[in-house]
Amino acid sequence: MSDRTLIYVVDDDDAVRDSLEALLLAEGFDVQGFGSAEAFLADGDPASADCCLLDVRMPGKDGLTLLQELDRDTATLPIIVMTGHGDVPMAVKAMKLGAVDFIEKPFDTNVMLTTIRSALQSKAANRLRSKVDPAILENLEKLTPREREVLEQLVAGRSNKEVGRQLGISPRTVEIHRSRLMEKMTAGSLAELVRMAIDAGIEPAASTSTPT
Amino acid sequence: MEDGIKSDGASSPTADDEALAEREALLRSIIETSPNGLITIDECGQILSFNPAAETMFGYQADDVIGKNVNCLMPAPYRNEHDAYIERYLKTGEKRIIGIGREVIAQRKNGEVFPVDLAVGEIRLADRRQFAGFIRDNSARRAAEQSVHTLRSELLHVSRLSELGEMASALAHELNQPLTAIINYLEACHRLLERDENADHRQTGRLMQKASDQARRAAQIIQQLRKFITKGETEHKFEPVNSVIREAAELAMVGSRQLAVTTEFDLAAGLPDIMIDRVQIQQVVMNLVRNSVEALADVEDRMLTVRTHQTADAAVQIDVIDAGPGLPDEVAQRLFQPFVTTKPGGIGIGLSICKGIVDAHGGRLWTTANPEGGTAFHISLPIDRNRRAPHV
Repeated sequence: MSDRTLIYVVDDDDAVRDSLEALLLAEGFDVQGFGSAEAFLADGDPASADCCLLDVRMPGKDGLTLLQELDRDTATLPIIVMTGHGDVPMAVKAMKLGAVDFIEKPFDTNVMLTTIRSALQSKAANRLRSKVDPAILENLEKLTPREREVLEQLVAGRSNKEVGRQLGISPRTVEIHRSRLMEKMTAGSLAELVRMAIDAGIEPAASTSTPT
Repeated sequence: MEDGIKSDGASSPTADDEALAEREALLRSIIETSPNGLITIDECGQILSFNPAAETMFGYQADDVIGKNVNCLMPAPYRNEHDAYIERYLKTGEKRIIGIGREVIAQRKNGEVFPVDLAVGEIRLADRRQFAGFIRDNSARRAAEQSVHTLRSELLHVSRLSELGEMASALAHELNQPLTAIINYLEACHRLLERDENADHRQTGRLMQKASDQARRAAQIIQQLRKFITKGETEHKFEPVNSVIREAAELAMVGSRQLAVTTEFDLAAGLPDIMIDRVQIQQVVMNLVRNSVEALADVEDRMLTVRTHQTADAAVQIDVIDAGPGLPDEVAQRLFQPFVTTKPGGIGIGLSICKGIVDAHGGRLWTTANPEGGTAFHISLPIDRNRRAPHV
């Protein structure tokens, strides 16, 4: 292929970065790795890359800080953040800072590749983030007021236990609402659910005790 | 009391008999009501008397055992050797237990073996000798000691678990890194081979090798954890201080990489091995290092020093020094008391447990202000206490 796709990988863990490079090369992408946010800022060219996989937890400048700085100069590079498993608050922050999606480590390879491909498409579509899938909006309509509340809590990055405390219901009940939500929204994972909610403009619920 | 009886008895011959009877009654009462077992034997080891406390303790009636060899009250191998003990004493006069007393092992009628304190007195009569044994049953005291011991080691185990509980998400992250890499490497191989049967074998081989390196990395993390949460009996052995300390500090630093703490190890060469319980001392060091890392979260210069050296008073000293904000005075003074904490979620038992561990090692745990700002914790462990292992 003459028109190759270049993917940046920013991760401080040598093995994770090296293995991602190997995998993406095997998938036919061009890859360039950076061991830190600083290295990326110094040697990377956001305008020439097609997509970027960014680790959020790094020494020095972390992924969120990098996102913040990038948003100003290069809004066209779609960035997918890599978070620890179940680190929803971090993922939510990253999405608010303009990441197109997030994947949880250790990730399912197919999920990751699908995420990259859809990020590339969104780049091709010039990041038309305003175009929300009408199906998502339709599904949102089906939620009960309580389910909607739980969703807003989840978007705020709270655990079942915290959601329960906020809403004055048991974590078990939250779990039931949550699985209903996933079903109605046809979300395969919590990550997907949160992404759809953010895309659809659902605002995270404020905390009743401490501000988020 | 005895003097009183004597002076009474000196007045008349009938009074003498009366005094003798009185004294015998007193003696009998003492023997009968003594909470300790009292057994007398002759020079051949034959039981002459067996008081009620001994009956209760051993489960024999006096009539069952009087006339029998006293060795029926002890388990093998003492049972077979006791006659020889008496014989040796009669021949040499060398006292090994008479007038000294010590803990020995006895055996009840039902076969149960139990620890007793035994004191032996010698009674010299005109033509022969008798021996009186005073016996105290130690099994209850032992059981109590054992249960304190067990409780303590349970507490230490639970506190190690809770320490790890607090680190759970950091540890999960640390394991996810190699797991992520393994999946990526293997998936890359898979894809290369699937696309092209004649794929470069050296290339796929290299990827597989890298995957197995990462698997080892994950295994190593788990191994460290297992060592740390091991529940086994406390075990005191001679241990190389530096590697014990380094391992613990590295485990404590797991997951704090993104905090970008610079850790400097300044470990003295040529330290003697010291008698410690490795896991417990590692628990102390982990706790101190984790405290320091937390203290560093809010400062710019995140510098942590772990140092070992030998002191003039024949001890090995371990210092954990951070450049954090330091301890407020009122906390510093009560630092090692339980339930004193500066952490929002803490219950404040970490350092009091640490102090308990170090004390049990005959050592000292204290804190000073780091002259360059921050806090220094010091552990001093004596080198020369090698003869006996401490009971923790």
